[in-house]
Amino acid sequence: MSAGPLIVVERLCRFYEVGGEVVRALDGVGFAIERGEWVGIIGQSGSGKSTLMNVLGCLDTPTSGTYRLNGTDVQTLADDQRADLRNKEIGFIFQTFQLLPRATALANVMLPLVYRGVPKGERRDKAEEALAAVGLTNRMTHRPNELSGGQRQRVAIARALVGEPSMLLADEPTGNLDSATGDEIIRLFDDLHRRGHTILLVTHEPRLAARCPRAIRLIDGRVIADGRGSEIAALGGAAAVPA
Amino acid sequence: MRWVRALRRVFAEALEGVEIAVENLVTARLRSALTVLGIVIGVMTVIAIVAIIQGLNASFQAQIANLGAHTLYVSKWAWFTQGREQWWELRNRKELGRKELEAVEREATLATAVAPMGMTQSDLTRGDLEAPNVQVIGTNAQYLATGAGTVAVGRFLAETDVDLTRSTAVLGADVADRLFPGFDPPQMLGRKVAVNGKAFEVVGVLERRGQLLGQNMDSNVVVPYTAFQRDFGGRRSLSIAVSTTPENLSALEDQLVEILRRVRRVPPEKKDDFSLNRQEQFLRTYEQLTGSLFEVAIAVGLITLLVGGIGIMNIMLVSVTERIREIGVRRALGARRSTILLQFLVESSIVAAVGGALGTALGLGLAQLIALVSPLAAAVSASAVVLGIGFSAAVGLVFGIWPAWRAARLDPVEALRHE
Repeated sequence: MSAGPLIVVERLCRFYEVGGEVVRALDGVGFAIERGEWVGIIGQSGSGKSTLMNVLGCLDTPTSGTYRLNGTDVQTLADDQRADLRNKEIGFIFQTFQLLPRATALANVMLPLVYRGVPKGERRDKAEEALAAVGLTNRMTHRPNELSGGQRQRVAIARALVGEPSMLLADEPTGNLDSATGDEIIRLFDDLHRRGHTILLVTHEPRLAARCPRAIRLIDGRVIADGRGSEIAALGGAAAVPA
Repeated sequence: MRWVRALRRVFAEALEGVEIAVENLVTARLRSALTVLGIVIGVMTVIAIVAIIQGLNASFQAQIANLGAHTLYVSKWAWFTQGREQWWELRNRKELGRKELEAVEREATLATAVAPMGMTQSDLTRGDLEAPNVQVIGTNAQYLATGAGTVAVGRFLAETDVDLTRSTAVLGADVADRLFPGFDPPQMLGRKVAVNGKAFEVVGVLERRGQLLGQNMDSNVVVPYTAFQRDFGGRRSLSIAVSTTPENLSALEDQLVEILRRVRRVPPEKKDDFSLNRQEQFLRTYEQLTGSLFEVAIAVGLITLLVGGIGIMNIMLVSVTERIREIGVRRALGARRSTILLQFLVESSIVAAVGGALGTALGLGLAQLIALVSPLAAAVSASAVVLGIGFSAAVGLVFGIWPAWRAARLDPVEALRHE
């Protein structure tokens, strides 16, 4: 662990070429995130928040600019190194859960540790621990199709937590859940935040952004506001919520 | 420590691949079965043919060994000739006769047995009973020691039979059956049979030997070669069977060449005017025959495996497409490209190896079945089994490369977004 912020992003750009036209998905984004922060990244679809999440998640490389994660300059890394970095530093939580359908909850949670070369016994212990932490002790041998949406998302959160990453990267984690279950998940995030986890939550919902202590709003690939979650959410909130 | 961890990681990943493969095999039974069918049929064919060829080789080798594997047959004729010209050359050679026989008996110190062999076909009769086209062999007391069988009843020819030109005969099992129907073998002894119209006294009956290469080995009668020459003509060509111990075989060959060239006065610049034949030559010719059959079988098997491999490639491509999202998830969780590659390669190898194992089992079963209902033999060799399974796994590996590479090449962002 290095000194300084966990994440430092400077003049980050990501351009695509679609049908001969250059799309500026990220156009000079810059911010820093400290350890233990819970930051919401809010924006409408097309604002560049998904692209930002992919870059921050080391799934995508920026066209230009720098991205330093825990002291590592990600933009210079080769594919294998980025895979290792994802494994070690990032816990992904997706809107559609992205669990392996044929694997049990336990096997799903153990998967990141497989790619880290953790011995099987230890893998199992840690996975059981992570599942217990999200309240799924009695669902370990169930497959995703035997679980409710909320339970599936909690399995995914356990999977994100099991490798003790330096940040959780959640992409619309409540998007596929009813509001009661969504609230449950957000309370779980609250709890994780209190226990010191760094959380990045990407969403288009102001209501969700309002729950984050800090939020960054993106429009057209640029940061237009960065501050307290409740304020950022209120800012142009009506316009940000799609019909 | 670092490489221990890396090794453990690769091992864990490979194991994951195995688990995934087994799971897919089980959950998509019909598809898996159809996928491996090509491999199964290919391996089955090859294994069955290999088992039968090896079985035939083994049984043929055993038969040859019974025949006197360590015996050289000195003859005017070569058993295996090439072309018409050589045939004429052999045709014009001087006959081998008593002079050569005596020289070999006297000087071939490495020989353990020396027996002349005069041969012709003749009818044997006893009263109204007839055994047609019997192989008449004129020889001496050492004939059996050259690997020519054993006596079942009575005795074989004695030296005195030869020396005194006695009309004694030892009957082959089939001839005995024909001329003495319903007789107890000992009752045949001392009775007369007519060989080419001349009376011979039966002194023994040979043990049944069965067939070799479709030739009946029991339709023969053995008489003293002196009597043979008396009744069938003295200038008839003799062959000389010379036996030795396995380690002296080639030395004996040299010795015989030297003796015969000298006795037959072959000038140094001329080629041998006689042939040294071996039973082994049969084996070699036979192996050439089965060898080409073997090659054809392997070629057919390879083509089938190729088709099977394409089937595997096809299904693996489908499998990759079906699991694009899964690949994306794995990549997000830290799987490297090589991890994904390994996973799919393991899967295709296992699918193919299972097909190979199945094909091997079926092939061996088929060979046994064929051996059961036909005169063919079957042999199971461990190498065939290992080769069958190993080769199919290799096919799976080779044909899995392209799909696995496609899977590994996927962009994680797009893979995760894939519907």
